Amino acid sequence: MATGGYEGVVIAGVGQTRYEKRTEKTVQHLLWEALDAALGSAGFPMRRVDGLAVTAFVLPPDNVTVVAEHFGLEPRWLSQGAYGGASGVIGMLHGARAIQAGDADVVACLTADVFDVASHMDLMDRFNSSVRDYLGPYGFGGPNGIYALHTRLYMDRYGATREDFGKQAISQRQNALLNPNALFKTPLTMEEYLNARPIADPLRLYDCVLPCSGGDCVILAREDLVASQGGRRVRILGGGEIHNFPVEDVFSLRGGWERFRDRMYEQAGLGPSDMEFVQLYDDYPVMEFVQLESLGFCPPGGAAEFLRKRDTTVGGDFPINTGGGQLSAGQAGASGGMIGVVEAVLQLRGEAGARQLRARRGMVSGYGMVAYGRGLSCSAAILAREA
Amino acid sequence: MEPKPSPRLTAINQPFLRGSNRDELWLQRCVQPACRKFVFYPRVCCPHCGAGALTWEQATGRGQVVSFSRVFRPQHESFFPEAPYYFIAVRLSEGPLFFSRLDHQGLPVETNLIGRQVRAVFVQHTPEQRLPLFELC
Ligand SMILES: [Zn+2]
Repeated sequence: MATGGYEGVVIAGVGQTRYEKRTEKTVQHLLWEALDAALGSAGFPMRRVDGLAVTAFVLPPDNVTVVAEHFGLEPRWLSQGAYGGASGVIGMLHGARAIQAGDADVVACLTADVFDVASHMDLMDRFNSSVRDYLGPYGFGGPNGIYALHTRLYMDRYGATREDFGKQAISQRQNALLNPNALFKTPLTMEEYLNARPIADPLRLYDCVLPCSGGDCVILAREDLVASQGGRRVRILGGGEIHNFPVEDVFSLRGGWERFRDRMYEQAGLGPSDMEFVQLYDDYPVMEFVQLESLGFCPPGGAAEFLRKRDTTVGGDFPINTGGGQLSAGQAGASGGMIGVVEAVLQLRGEAGARQLRARRGMVSGYGMVAYGRGLSCSAAILAREA
Repeated sequence: MEPKPSPRLTAINQPFLRGSNRDELWLQRCVQPACRKFVFYPRVCCPHCGAGALTWEQATGRGQVVSFSRVFRPQHESFFPEAPYYFIAVRLSEGPLFFSRLDHQGLPVETNLIGRQVRAVFVQHTPEQRLPLFELC
């Protein structure tokens, strides 16, 4: 018997701004563009939004409350994500709980950022106090340096190779070529991947995301407020989050999804083999490997072998990051935690254009908040279109 | 060029930063008899048992490399002239994990440092502050 699910709530709309390497727009502008697009998709006017979950790294000194003022909203529920790349999924799950509890009827789950490489590195140098005081002074290289250590250890412990990571990066690039909003427009070859500029070895350029600008949004609503939309309503079948797991081991090469995945699958009444796509948090290929293992698709250390046997492009038997993911579409800061949600909803609504799958259900996963040696937060959800 | 980013001196981390200026590595240690674990980075409470009573002890400065990377693209321009350099995670013999750099000369690029024994060496980081790097034993 599934317990604690997300009944009574539907994902009613979805929106994404243009992703750009540079923009003159402010983060508030990108937040509004994503919200406006998603409200148009849901068929709601702005004033129907009475709940708002916002995550944007460059938003300070503003915050979600000031965003509500800026947009002329009168919300009775607000939330601001403090979980880095796990915030997109978590904002959606918390928003759904608010609707279930009657604290809001229409919740906009919203992320955006204005980034380039320099501003990304500047933010990461002082991301939180342990990073600022105990990593930055040693020249840690930002998240690239941290995940270089995890990648090195993963390769050493499990025998994964650069080619294993490259295969996934190349597949996502193929997916990105079918996504007009992806920033990378040309195929990636294994030779280019292996010989790219070294960033923090074993990581090279195409193991690292391209910081960019953009915004993403989904609209949640109480189900009775949303017409059936011709079967395009999407539901949250299960979800969860965990933070600082495992508490005593920075280099466990696990994210924590194993801590809640059984409950999530039980809520959904589904298992890993029922997923028709997976949108993973791909800040680095190694974290995709860890997610596949922690989410139960393969045993610990088994992701390389699992992926060697599968085709993860949109035409393949196990599609991953069907819009190209952050590695090939771009990482618009905190929107990196929402790009997978938006892609999953587009796929389930049948609005994914040239990269459209025939899929009724899939998974999206989030991960983030780099601190003293690892990301602290992880999240995931199972989404499905209504029959 | 901007100066290197430096740790802020706080009421919590003073013994660590002042110790570094004397070329000594100091760690917090939980006083709870059932715990007694060492702690780094400096905290207001023991992350192993939650108790608030932590003392400071001088550490051996010895440890073992957990993982390493040659950083070609530092996060801050003040490190650019030194790149590439080895960023390392060290498991101190007292228990805590310590992120730092390897002070090295002429190390062959293909060297696998995982599991290698290291010891702390102190370098002048800014005019005011010395910090522990590590060298291979
Ligand atoms: Zn203790």
